[in-house]
Amino acid sequence: MITQVKSPILEIHDLTVSYDQSPVLWNVDLSLPSGKLIGILGPNGAGKSTLIKAIMGLVDPSGGYVKLFDKTLEEVRSRISYVPQRESVDWNFPASVLDVVMMGTYGKLGLFKRPGKKEKELSMESLEKVGMHGFANRQISELSGGQQQRVFIARSLAQNADLYLMDEPFAGVDMATETAIFELLQEMTAAGKTVIVVHHDIYSAVNYFDWFIMLNLHLVASGPKETVMTEDLLRKTYGGKLNLLTKVSDLIRQKEFNPLKN
Amino acid sequence: MEDFLYFFTFQDPSIVFVVIGIILLGVGSAYVGTYSFLDKKALLGDAISHAILPGICLGFMLAGEKNPLFIVSGAFISGALATFLSSWLNKNTRLSEDAIIASILSIFFGFGIVLLTIIQKSGNPEMAGLNQFIFGNAIAIQESDLYIYGGLAVFIILCLTIFQKEFSLLVFNPDYGRAIGFPMGMIRVIFNILMILSVVIGIQAIGVVLMAALLITPGAAARFWTDRLGVLVILAGVFSAVSGVLGTYISFVIPQMPTGPWVVVFLSILALISFLFAPKKGVLSRYISRRIYLKKTHRDHLLKLLYKGIEADKSGLPIEEIYEAFPFQKKQSEQSIKNLAKDNFITQNQSFIELSISGKSEAKRIVRLHRLWELYLNEYMNIAPDHVHDTAEKLEHILTPEMEELLESRLNFPKLDPHQENIPRDHDEL
Repeated sequence: MITQVKSPILEIHDLTVSYDQSPVLWNVDLSLPSGKLIGILGPNGAGKSTLIKAIMGLVDPSGGYVKLFDKTLEEVRSRISYVPQRESVDWNFPASVLDVVMMGTYGKLGLFKRPGKKEKELSMESLEKVGMHGFANRQISELSGGQQQRVFIARSLAQNADLYLMDEPFAGVDMATETAIFELLQEMTAAGKTVIVVHHDIYSAVNYFDWFIMLNLHLVASGPKETVMTEDLLRKTYGGKLNLLTKVSDLIRQKEFNPLKN
Repeated sequence: MEDFLYFFTFQDPSIVFVVIGIILLGVGSAYVGTYSFLDKKALLGDAISHAILPGICLGFMLAGEKNPLFIVSGAFISGALATFLSSWLNKNTRLSEDAIIASILSIFFGFGIVLLTIIQKSGNPEMAGLNQFIFGNAIAIQESDLYIYGGLAVFIILCLTIFQKEFSLLVFNPDYGRAIGFPMGMIRVIFNILMILSVVIGIQAIGVVLMAALLITPGAAARFWTDRLGVLVILAGVFSAVSGVLGTYISFVIPQMPTGPWVVVFLSILALISFLFAPKKGVLSRYISRRIYLKKTHRDHLLKLLYKGIEADKSGLPIEEIYEAFPFQKKQSEQSIKNLAKDNFITQNQSFIELSISGKSEAKRIVRLHRLWELYLNEYMNIAPDHVHDTAEKLEHILTPEMEELLESRLNFPKLDPHQENIPRDHDEL
């Protein structure tokens, strides 16, 4: 059940990604409309984060390509913002909340130049949007998990992009914060931005997202909520991995080289 | 004493040169090292410093003398080769990083020692100073060396200052850096070059074996004192410069005494002081705050005991009964009674202890927190009433007024805890 759209904001063509030779994503082929809040669903190890990393060029695909705004990533990088997983960094790094949010302005600032007054103001505004402006001078090591997530979201807001890719921004976040962040994301999509979110909780997902991508090593579904939120597709997504697919993965891993590589 | 005055009044221009050199080199390597310490790549510095020995020897062989330009270039090239090899092996083999670093270190260093022995056998009269590169001798730094070593140190410090935001990104979140289009691979290469250079400039003064200590120890010691990157870097630089100058002084007073080991001794002393006495993170400060906390919990428990006395219709308790309630803790009990009396929480009439008005209010607060938490565990987490006491006994001391408010509203201002005991409010009559 894969709905393709005309003039997509993001087009993924036959994307295959492998880590250490084992394929973790098989032939993902989809296109996404703009101005929507899009959720990526799937069980642990389904390749959700890998899909986002492949879109951002952080992992090399062994086949296929990604196009954003009908262009290559390099041409439109400044219009895309990425929120990595909270656990991917060491929060003991000696920096203040404002220091981290200011990193969102680095892309436009370029190399060498130091952030000035304008960048600081922009960062403070972003912090205000996530309700963290009172924490600007706090050390990041003193934050709770939910606060860390909000700092990462503020950093991506400071980039002022058109397309946002967020990797598990709701992991370790309490209910009140989750609702507040979802409301913020809905405001953003109402203003014409596109937000793609890796999410683990189907129950809250149904309430908030307009469009779903369902993954389980391969693409199970991609389409508007009404068409893909079916018992059958959910069972295909969460009901265990395809037996044959895991066997082929094992077969490939035992080879001395990666046969999927171009 | 005479030596001390002579050295530290800087009358001798050659001492001035040496001191300037050692300060620059100390600050430069501490600056680079702090980043690599934060990046958890401390071992790489050790591998590089050992790996430059063959380069030094080859440089010497080619020049036929201790020409600083040849030696620095040789050292740089073999350091770069070691760094490149370790990242290539990491990418293209399944060897773990620690195995790679350990092999690179020993292979390069072993080869260097072989070359050093060959040079010593060759009978070249210039070779006398070459041994200094193992453990370092700052006093032997000459004016012409200073321009090269000092110049490189200044270059390192400038580079790190200019690229501060790029290097912070490299350490904190390189993936994000790549996502916003920064050439993180290139930035990593520049950082590695600075790291090799900082090792290279230290070979004359500190020596290859101990250079890693000058890279990592200052940052590690400074980390105990601060959570701010700017302060951290400056403090690391100061630690490094102070140890460098003191180590040089020892080499000056005792001729033939290598500088490197003494610098490391002073650095270690600074690191030990930081570990023990730094505020907040130091061992002593953590011990003291734990002691203060334990004292407070004892006081809280004593107040609770008196409160429970009131619940059982005893207006107060004889002091002996309090001592009995806390067996083997008579000293602490005496101390707590003294403190509570000083704060006007209790009154002591001969040996009879009673709660004052403010004491009653404080005791009610502690009992309230205890019982609210018990009720929360029971109602929201489905924990049986006979299993809730222990955590409540610990949490009653740390729950904040905000948490208390939250608990009250979540539980809808309850009257009774899971043991059917009254949850006291401030306005309740006692």
